[in-house]
Amino acid sequence: MSAPLVSALTDPAVELRDVTVAHGQSIVLQVKHLRIERGERVVLVGPNGAGKSTLFRILSGQLCPADGTVQVLGHERRFSSPSGTKNSRPRYDHRVGIISQGLHLVPRLDALSNTLIGGLARADVAAWRSWLKWFPSGLIDEAMDALAQVGMQDHATTRADHLSGGERQRVAMARLIMQKPELILADEPTAALDPAATARAVSLLNRLARGATLLTIVHEMTLVGELGDRVIGIRQGQIALDTPSGQLGADAMEALFRAPAPGKEPDEPSMGALSEQWV
Amino acid sequence: MTPAAWGVAYLAVVGLCLWSLMGSGELSLGRTPWQNLMATVGDFSRPSFLDAWWGPQRLEYRSDDGTVLRVENRQVLEREFLWAVLRATWVTFQIATLGSLLAALLALPLGLFTARNLPAPRWLSRAAHGLLGASRAIHTLVFGLILVGIVGLGPTAGILAIAMHSMGTYGKLFAESIETLDMAAVEGVRATGASSAHAFFMAVWPSVLPQFASQHLYVWEFNVRDSTILGLIGAGGLGLLISEAVSLFQWSRLATLLIVVVALVMCFDAVSSRVRKALL
Repeated sequence: MSAPLVSALTDPAVELRDVTVAHGQSIVLQVKHLRIERGERVVLVGPNGAGKSTLFRILSGQLCPADGTVQVLGHERRFSSPSGTKNSRPRYDHRVGIISQGLHLVPRLDALSNTLIGGLARADVAAWRSWLKWFPSGLIDEAMDALAQVGMQDHATTRADHLSGGERQRVAMARLIMQKPELILADEPTAALDPAATARAVSLLNRLARGATLLTIVHEMTLVGELGDRVIGIRQGQIALDTPSGQLGADAMEALFRAPAPGKEPDEPSMGALSEQWV
Repeated sequence: MTPAAWGVAYLAVVGLCLWSLMGSGELSLGRTPWQNLMATVGDFSRPSFLDAWWGPQRLEYRSDDGTVLRVENRQVLEREFLWAVLRATWVTFQIATLGSLLAALLALPLGLFTARNLPAPRWLSRAAHGLLGASRAIHTLVFGLILVGIVGLGPTAGILAIAMHSMGTYGKLFAESIETLDMAAVEGVRATGASSAHAFFMAVWPSVLPQFASQHLYVWEFNVRDSTILGLIGAGGLGLLISEAVSLFQWSRLATLLIVVVALVMCFDAVSSRVRKALL
């Protein structure tokens, strides 16, 4: 599965060519060419339904485009129209990490187990250990350490559904620390957080991004500069803007969020329609 | 059809049932319902277990010319009957408990196959769905009658009958709780690169296990009730004593048996609802 070391040093983290995602008749996302180098911190902005999350779902392997070439961390996949949607989902790789608002934790498991999950694929833990909840002690120590890094060591035995939104987000970060991904996809990671928790999440994400590539979707424009060196604006399924975050002008942002001409806004497919099954 | 039209259709069905029954003159309470009711209440008003302590120690049965036919010590007889009731209650409980567990174990894979959000092959999920449907459609008593012919009289037939029928109930309940599962957690585990086996054990299983346990208690309780009548067809337990009491017109013993059934079900209900609350 992993790419040869040589290409790992030269390949970009992400490269998309002529990628098209269609839902029914409407085109949800169309990317002619997008290249993100390893170690870059990129912020994605754009109105709701523009296609930002769809792009994330392509990169994480949850969604197959109808057309195009997707290269993630040296792993290339080609898609073409007739078989596009039937293409089986690739095996997720621990090198791609996803974080959203902490809603993807397992509610009935405690914080420690939720953190441990991040290490299962990386440490190649056997499935029967998950069944018996009997994990190598080294992995447990690592998970405790990850919880300590996010300041949640005192809540290790608290169930995820008894944690507050901010605490859940921190456990999700701890899981990411365990996972050690090379590419981090953060989908509105601060959406439900108060200012203090937001600041904490931003600094944690930046710490995780050291030695990794970080892509973040944000809606708070004040965070653009803090989380990225490069800004990509997506509007109506197209990349409308791609600049260093320092050079982002107010007029460019205004154009990005201007209401589209009536009847032209593409529909973003609902999560349910595309992910009924896990494979 | 609109909801209102469905309502009208429902009323039409009820009307048809009533009209056809009344038309054939079969909807009647009999000739002397009130006397019959009073007589039954009278029969039931002195449950036999009272005799175990306060019954006559020497009850003489005489023929018309005064000859003593038989002498009974009611206290001894009814105490023996109470022991028999206790043993039968235990058998009933055994049937319900083992039958429910067997049903749950059989239904678990079938439930997993039929849940639409799990990736079972289509033919397998169809087959499991059909099997569960058939199992639900056939009543425990019918399974019991068939099984008595196969494995003979006794609790084994009862256990198997309960298992066969409850399997369908369990399978449907299990599949439904898996289908209402929050897939975000499952996707979250998959997103770390973990295998689907890990996702199952870490996300699916812990989320559905409390629901499964609660459903198990519910069906188990239902089966405690159900297994009290299994004895009617010879599958052991309280039902056997009930059928004996009815055929010998021993209404006071039937009253004792019904009190035991009600007490058993209520005790089980009290315990299981407490456990269910603790689980969720």
